[in-house]
Amino acid sequence: MDPKDKSKGPIQVSNLDVKFRSEVISHKEAGGLNACFSCGTCTAGCSISEVFPEYSPKKVAKMVKLGMKQEVLSSPFIWYCTTCHNCEQHCPQNVKFFNILNVLKNMAAKEGYAPSPWVEQTRQMMETGLVFPVDESVVKKRRSLSLPAIRSEGEKAKRLIEITGLDKIQAKKKR
Amino acid sequence: MNRYALFLGCTTPTQVMQYELSARWVCHHLGIDLVDIDDFVCCGINQINLSQEAGLLLAAMNLAYAEREGLDILTLCAACTGALSEAVESLRDQETRDRVNRKLQPIGLEYNGRTRVKHISRILYEDIGLDRIKKEVKRDLSKLRVAPHYGCHYLKPESAFDGFDDPDNPNSLHQLISATGAFPVRYETLNLCCGGKSFPVSKEPAFSLVQNKLDNLMNKKIDCLVVQCQTCYLMYSDQQKVINKQFKKQYNMPVLLYPQLLGMALGGDPKDDLGLDLNAISLDDLLEKAGIHRKI
Repeated sequence: MDPKDKSKGPIQVSNLDVKFRSEVISHKEAGGLNACFSCGTCTAGCSISEVFPEYSPKKVAKMVKLGMKQEVLSSPFIWYCTTCHNCEQHCPQNVKFFNILNVLKNMAAKEGYAPSPWVEQTRQMMETGLVFPVDESVVKKRRSLSLPAIRSEGEKAKRLIEITGLDKIQAKKKR
Repeated sequence: MNRYALFLGCTTPTQVMQYELSARWVCHHLGIDLVDIDDFVCCGINQINLSQEAGLLLAAMNLAYAEREGLDILTLCAACTGALSEAVESLRDQETRDRVNRKLQPIGLEYNGRTRVKHISRILYEDIGLDRIKKEVKRDLSKLRVAPHYGCHYLKPESAFDGFDDPDNPNSLHQLISATGAFPVRYETLNLCCGGKSFPVSKEPAFSLVQNKLDNLMNKKIDCLVVQCQTCYLMYSDQQKVINKQFKKQYNMPVLLYPQLLGMALGGDPKDDLGLDLNAISLDDLLEKAGIHRKI
C-alpha cells in the first residue's frame, strides 16, 4: 500500500485471496462492506487522509473486495485511524467503515502485526485495570490535591481479556 | 435526582488531574452527586484495536458495576463516553447481551441494559441547564474569546447519542461557553480531530492535525481553546509544547478543560478548586482578563 515501495510489481491476480472478502464480512460488524459502492465520501471526510493522503478508507475497502489480504493486513496504515467516525458519519450507504477496519485490525493482530503500544496497554491493563501505571508520583500528586486514592486492580479485567485470547496477541517484531 | 457513578477513565486520574479536580468542584457546586466506584476499569476503547470482543466485555463490565449500584454513569473523557455508549447500543441486541453475560458470569457480573452513559458537559447542558448556570455566575468572563473543541467521541457515532446535538454542526458547547459569560468563537476547523487515538502508534499525522487547528486559531484573537476530553487536552496543550520544540514553532494557545472555565465563572479558587496551575500553557493573560490578578 506504500506508493513509494517499488519493490513489488503490479498485483498478480493469482496472488489474490478470493476468500478474503467473505472472511471479513462473515464478521457481523463488517457486513456493511457489501453495500459499499466506492464513492469515496469516507475518504473525503477522513481526518487522517487530510494530513496523510496515503491512507484512504475507500482504498482499504476496495483492496478487501479485491482480495488483497496480505497487503491490507501487513499495512502499517490501517493502524493510523484516529477513530473520529467521520467515514461513517457521511456514508450514503450507511457502511460502518470504522467497524470494518476494527475487524481488519483484529485479523492483522492475530497474524502478528499488532503495534507494540496497544500490546503494552493490554499487559498494563491486566496488572492494574487501567492502561497507564499508577506509580508513586501519581499517588503523591493525587494526595496533594486531596483527590481520593484510586484502587487499581486488574484481576477481573485480566480474566475477561484471557477469555477473548487478547492476552496471546504478540507485538509486531521490529525488523 | 442528579446522582451519578463517576467514571474517571485511565488518563484523567493519572495525567490530567486538574480535569478531575475541577469537575468534582463544579459538580459539588451545582448539586451533582458523584459516587466513586473502585471496581471500574479502563472503558475498553483501545482494546478494540486488537480484539473488539475484549473491548465490548470491558465496557460491559463497567456498565454492570454501575447497574449494580442503580446508577447511571458520568464520564469526563469523550472516548470513554463513546466506547461505553457504543457498548450500550450493541448490548440492546438480546443475542449479544446473552453472549456477553455468559462471559461476565464467572466474575459475578451481569448487565441488563439499564445503565445510561452521559458526559459531564451533556449533564450540565441537559440536566442542570443553561439558565441555572447563568444564575450562578459570579465572575465576569465577558472579555474572553473562547474557541470550543467538542471531541469526536462526544457526539459520534451519532446512533449512540440520541441526537442530542448535531455532530456536523454542533452547538451545545458553544452555548455552555456563552452561559459562563465568555464569547464562543466560530472557526473553520471546529470539527477537526485531535489525533489522540492514533498518537501512540503514529505521531506524525497527529502532529499535523494539531498544527492545522492551532494555525487556524492563532490569528483569530482567541484567548483560549476549551476542550471537554483529557486526550484532546493533552494533544493541544502538552503536545503543543513538543511541536514548538520539534518543529521550531511558536504556538502559544492556552487550553482549558470546560469545568475549569465554568469553575472560573462560578467563583472557584483558581488553584485549589480548579487546578489552573497544572495547565501546561501559561494562563497569565487569560486570568488577567478574567479579573483574577493573583499569581497561581
